[in-house]
Amino acid sequence: MTEKTPPNVRIFAVKTRFQELAQRPGGIPREIAIQQAESGIEGYKAEFVDWVERELQELTQALRKIDSAQPDMAQLDEIYARSRQLRDTGTTMGLALLTFVADNLCRVLDAIQSGATYDSEIVECHISALFLARQNAYRNIRPEQVPEMTSGFHRMLERASRSLPDKAG
Amino acid sequence: MITVPVADSKPRSLKNASVNLRDLTILIADPGTFMRRVVYGMLRGFGANRILEAGDAAGVLAALMQQKIDILILDAKLPPQNGLAVTQAIRRNTDNENRTLPILIMTSDAQQSTVKEARDAGASMVVAKPMSPTTLYDRLVWIAFDRRQFIDCPTYFGPDRRFKIEGYPTGVGRRASDKSIEVAEAVEPNLEQDDIDSLFQAARAGQSE
Repeated sequence: MTEKTPPNVRIFAVKTRFQELAQRPGGIPREIAIQQAESGIEGYKAEFVDWVERELQELTQALRKIDSAQPDMAQLDEIYARSRQLRDTGTTMGLALLTFVADNLCRVLDAIQSGATYDSEIVECHISALFLARQNAYRNIRPEQVPEMTSGFHRMLERASRSLPDKAG
Repeated sequence: MITVPVADSKPRSLKNASVNLRDLTILIADPGTFMRRVVYGMLRGFGANRILEAGDAAGVLAALMQQKIDILILDAKLPPQNGLAVTQAIRRNTDNENRTLPILIMTSDAQQSTVKEARDAGASMVVAKPMSPTTLYDRLVWIAFDRRQFIDCPTYFGPDRRFKIEGYPTGVGRRASDKSIEVAEAVEPNLEQDDIDSLFQAARAGQSE
């Protein structure tokens, strides 16, 4: 079969080494592979709790350094980077609420980076909530199970975004 | 120009397909140390035994220079620029033997614009963070059995950006804005972006499959 293609377009088949080897027989069956991966992650949980604790301490330190009147973008970047890491790993490690709060904080910081006014209380409130969300009592609680809390965070995000240049006008 | 047809174009279900990751060299690139650890743990569980890690773009490029990498699992915001710039650099470098390397982009920002940028940079697949072992496994299966052709044209080098639905929706769909000069004519129905967005939203809320 030959398709008509423009003269400056080349279309070609590729079979990568990944595809060749990944399709070999003898791989671990899907269900077992997933179970093994879940067990592997389970083994990291104690380490994760310690890591989250350290990240939150670092977040608190970073927050203290910020001058509310004139926040330094590099310092906000540090908070952003740490929040992203918490967001990216929380749910996988069984702390969905931690991911939710960290995600909301990332959105608040996105708004600030886009020109919204920095409100230290909103950021502080998120960090306090992260301390709460890391506790064992909150493990396996999903955001939809605490609608009052999630709507409060959504309102904070709304408040943070209100001063965005395109919305202020 | 020559068009090489795909040998077997019949749709097949990938629902219970498995992959053999033994002896494949997998590079995980993410600035987060714990994120890398989590992905590493998942891959070990899947049977991978050659896993490398990088925390920034320089680490990725160095690893690609030093050895043959079979698949790159790359964060969309990898510093200093971002993972999409790294993807584009790999795809556009005509001297790079890793040019057709499968690249799985991980993103915590599942906005349509990010997905579109990843696709246009030449990503093989996009997966939303946080992700479960099931989500990662199924994307690897998808890439392993992906029969898309590559497109080489002045504005793009990478996998054909039109996706086929084969078994389950796992990736980036075709957009109305796709230019046929870049992707050639559509031959089969493709995944709608709404499906991807709902998948991404579910993953973000921790409801991954």
